[in-house]
Amino acid sequence: MNAPAILIAFPKGRLGDELVPLLAGTALALDAQALKSRVLRIPTATPGVSALLLKGADLPRYVAAGVASLGIVGSDTLDEMDMDLLELADLGFGACRLSLCALAGVSLDELRAKPHLRLATKFPRATEAWLTREGLTAELVPLSSSAELAPLLGLADAIVDLVQTGGTLKAHGLVETAVLGRSSARLVAARGAYLSEPGRIRPLADTLIAALKGCG
Amino acid sequence: MPVRTPHFPDLLFGPAERLRRWEDALMGLLAAHGYRELHPSLVLRDTVPDGALRFFDGDELVALRWDFTMALAGLLARRFPEPPERVSYAGAVFRRPVQPWEAVERFEVGCERITTEGQSSTEADVELARLLMAIPGVLGLKSAILHMGNAALVRRPLEAEGLSPELAAEVVAALSRRAPHRVAQALEGHPSAARLSAHAQALLSELDGPASLAALSASPYAELLQEEVDHMDRALQALLPILPPNLELRVDLADVAGLDFYTGPTLRLWAPGAQQELAAGGRYDRLFPGLGRPWKAAGFCVRLSRLLDLAETRPDLFEQPR
Repeated sequence: MNAPAILIAFPKGRLGDELVPLLAGTALALDAQALKSRVLRIPTATPGVSALLLKGADLPRYVAAGVASLGIVGSDTLDEMDMDLLELADLGFGACRLSLCALAGVSLDELRAKPHLRLATKFPRATEAWLTREGLTAELVPLSSSAELAPLLGLADAIVDLVQTGGTLKAHGLVETAVLGRSSARLVAARGAYLSEPGRIRPLADTLIAALKGCG
Repeated sequence: MPVRTPHFPDLLFGPAERLRRWEDALMGLLAAHGYRELHPSLVLRDTVPDGALRFFDGDELVALRWDFTMALAGLLARRFPEPPERVSYAGAVFRRPVQPWEAVERFEVGCERITTEGQSSTEADVELARLLMAIPGVLGLKSAILHMGNAALVRRPLEAEGLSPELAAEVVAALSRRAPHRVAQALEGHPSAARLSAHAQALLSELDGPASLAALSASPYAELLQEEVDHMDRALQALLPILPPNLELRVDLADVAGLDFYTGPTLRLWAPGAQQELAAGGRYDRLFPGLGRPWKAAGFCVRLSRLLDLAETRPDLFEQPR
């Protein structure tokens, strides 16, 4: 039996959209025809190496389990999950802020003064860490998408969400009141694959770093 | 009836036979080198750690044996005024899984090499490494990789810089991820940030053969760590000439797994393509003094459950038994 094919997990969505063109012309360029189809396993320019297109929140699990040997995922997602994987490089692109955002006119001090603060977020760990640092308590309202609606409709006083350009916030009448942290794309690796087969995995990691690092 | 499978593996015929065969072969290897078996009770009635499988026996909280080394250390410290030099063990340990795919019941074979004042730690470390080098052959692995590290390479600089336990834990977590950028982030604003970040870069720069030790010369702590480097170098010089043909020896300077336990050289056995290490061990000189005994010790554990899984998923990595 030959060694199994190597799988690299790429994120669907914003990060994925940024990295696909950056890989064009490299040994890990994704097959254009397959990308146009609905398949989620895409051949690359290197035989025996395929890409998996995964939702960001699922991607670390595939890598930690060793199904995918390498992956690219936002540090915000990594920080929310306690996964045993290696984080080989900060690729720099996909940079954004994790921010506390409220309706325009509502200040951070006003939020602090609330006897019962409600924050909607899909980043509960980062939010809890910030609350601890600030000495605040809050009720966390878990959401998985469209958090911007929560303050508008009274579900929460504010949200903790990723902000890249601020366009979505502006469209919903929200402003950033505090920056909790920063996020960018990270190259992750399965511990087992990296430590037991460095000869196969490291050249691929180096190709990804060369193509993607600092391209943001 | 519960619908989520708790991971207590039932071994059917083939794997059961394989477990019996491997246990016998490994215990035979250890016995041939003077290791005598001790079998600590499956039920622990003293300290019950987090992660152990606990239950009430009447009004008394007890735990199933969760680690052989800890169970043996307690037994040895209680029962022996002078320690046996070589001890082996085989059986199951029970731990709550950290990851959902991990088993609760895990089969292990291992050994402990205990030294008293005046006996050479280096010789004991080399003896253990030689034994570990023989294990792939005993198990029928076609090829394997032995990683040699040293917990002191990380521990001593952190202690020298007086990092708080929380900050030290953050740095170790970043090193465990092999993420130098996370090390720098964790240390931001700390007086030792530049030095420790440079050290992290040196530790993470190589994962290769014996020449990797040279990477430490770029570390600001090169002088502080000279004794450890010399120790690793001596061990490598002793081991390289007797390296079996299908075993590769690599130096992993950034091995921080078990850093709160290990104090010196560490060893980890991998098979190419395995997702988890198949055996691991090292020197842990603080355990027995903590139990009131002035003994030093090192040991390793072969993780048979992982090997059984590997034999099912990657039979191509094993020779077919005759």
